[in-house]
Amino acid sequence: MFDVIVRGGLVVDGSGQPGFQGDVAVKDGRIAAVGRVEGEARQVVDAAGRVVAPGFIDPHTHFDVQLLWDGAARPALEHGVTCVVPGNCSLSLAPLKAADRPRVVGMFQQIEEMPPEAFTTAFDWTWEDFAGYRAAIEKALSINVAPLVGHSVIRLWVMGPAAQERAATPDEIAAMQDLLRQCLDAGAVGLSTSFVDIDENGRPVPSRFAQFEELDALAAVLGEYGRMLQCVPEFYATDITIARIDQFAELSLKHNIPTTFSPLFDTSAVPDNAPRAIARVEEQFARGARVWPQMQTRPIDISFSLLRPSLFFARLPRWVRVLRLPLEARLAALRDPDTVAKLVADTGPDGGEAMMGRLILRGGDAAPAELAGKTLSEIAKARGQVPAQALIDLSLEHGLDVAFLSASQGHQSTDRIGPMLAHPLVHIGASDGGAHIASFSTYGDTGYLFSEFVRKGRHLSLEQAVAKITGETADIWGLKDRGRLQPGLAADIVVFDAETIDREAELPTFDMPGDGMRYVRAARGIDTVLVNGEVAYANGAYTEARAGVVCV
Amino acid sequence: MSPRAGEGEAVIVGAEVVAGHDGSAELVVRLRHANGAEAPLVLDEEAGLRLMRNCGASHVDDLAGQSWRRILEGS
Repeated sequence: MFDVIVRGGLVVDGSGQPGFQGDVAVKDGRIAAVGRVEGEARQVVDAAGRVVAPGFIDPHTHFDVQLLWDGAARPALEHGVTCVVPGNCSLSLAPLKAADRPRVVGMFQQIEEMPPEAFTTAFDWTWEDFAGYRAAIEKALSINVAPLVGHSVIRLWVMGPAAQERAATPDEIAAMQDLLRQCLDAGAVGLSTSFVDIDENGRPVPSRFAQFEELDALAAVLGEYGRMLQCVPEFYATDITIARIDQFAELSLKHNIPTTFSPLFDTSAVPDNAPRAIARVEEQFARGARVWPQMQTRPIDISFSLLRPSLFFARLPRWVRVLRLPLEARLAALRDPDTVAKLVADTGPDGGEAMMGRLILRGGDAAPAELAGKTLSEIAKARGQVPAQALIDLSLEHGLDVAFLSASQGHQSTDRIGPMLAHPLVHIGASDGGAHIASFSTYGDTGYLFSEFVRKGRHLSLEQAVAKITGETADIWGLKDRGRLQPGLAADIVVFDAETIDREAELPTFDMPGDGMRYVRAARGIDTVLVNGEVAYANGAYTEARAGVVCV
Repeated sequence: MSPRAGEGEAVIVGAEVVAGHDGSAELVVRLRHANGAEAPLVLDEEAGLRLMRNCGASHVDDLAGQSWRRILEGS
């Protein structure tokens, strides 16, 4: 007697091989049989007319905080994602001493845009070390988690405030090595670092103060475990990105580790950026190095309101400071003429025309319907104001619940991006799931992969696309128990409609702690998701299953 | 300092506002170096707005012909 049989679907097993009609049987959380399966099961999932594939793996997320109150990393799981990798970009929630929490919370807020309540009311800080964090999230996981440990927090643990001031001494580097070993022993799948990110005050995160000797020493520890080194390179400059590719290739070869960098995206302003980076990756792989570029599937949009801080204001520290205030204090500041005058002045001598004039009022919130679709420049002129003043006043008049969209285009050319996604050395990822939540949705990139690049662009076959985000991803990350529908492996399974799988429209929701807002996209075409053999999502609803684990 | 590019130094030949990875607007300035090579330079919002202000530019197209040194002014 099996626990579950998924019957009569097109089995696309994650290997990239052609799909075949068959069944998948599950017993004790693992795949027991694949093919024509005889016998009975306690639960049968009818997959007729559907694809049966391994659960998708999202290798670049920031669900570190959300997992503490939402073990499904919603809405990732309903998109067919059964394993997420948090802890990217040098930031994780462990190891972290209690005294250092405020500093790291600020860094997380800069990246994730989580409301303050997410850190003050949504969970209890019960840990300092990595094992403690693991225990905290493992209590109620519906999704699997393969966590990275962040270089910045390792540095902060060892060096304290000096982590954001100077290079480390040999003794401090040795202490970081020991700490990294503890984290890897406790279940970390690798180390993340960043050469780009800043904290809420605009200062470089701790990892950016590391000299090469420090990174080399930490990579040596990763080599002891064969684990991943992830980084955010200086992606705004192709030549520097290529230099990082070379540097990481040397670390990969020297320590026999996989490395990955993200993001790599296409832009019309620098059309040779991604092709040059990929060409360098090809050269380094030919030498035997492993430097996997992560490329996202979705194009880049921006949305935000004054209800929450947004990266739209990341280069305007005064705006960020005001928007971080509790609601009543924020409203008071935005009503204060002196403060507003400074805010408007900060946007430049044109009152924000260059920076904000092309913003489009989104609608779907408290904004007047007749303004929906108009630009802020048009609205400001009609009001006899400069755009920055109009943005503030319009927001105040509607309880700050006015959302704006910047339709600036980036990474939007399907015909250019499709072949790159299909490239055997390009790692599909960089979703940033759980980050930038008040600016845009970071969910549904897998659905978009199938709708845009399999069905519409035909740049990848169904089997290729599935393999890219399952078997190949598991291989890249060394997740030996995941990514394929093979007897003996963990039963992470998604049943979907190949003709309709997609992401739905971006919508604001208020499901963050403190009724905080974020933008999400629901899934389309996903029927059933099993995590470690238990149905975690079916018929458009999450179940009570809590079978997720921290997996390595 | 001359507002226009001098001989033997890099000159701005074009600029474009693009969407950055994190959802912020960025200014990509294309520089042509003295040896004829061209290369992009990505400026964040602050640097991009400052460059436009330094050059008295009301549109990114107005930046063409300006010296690369304008990028450093006021930084």
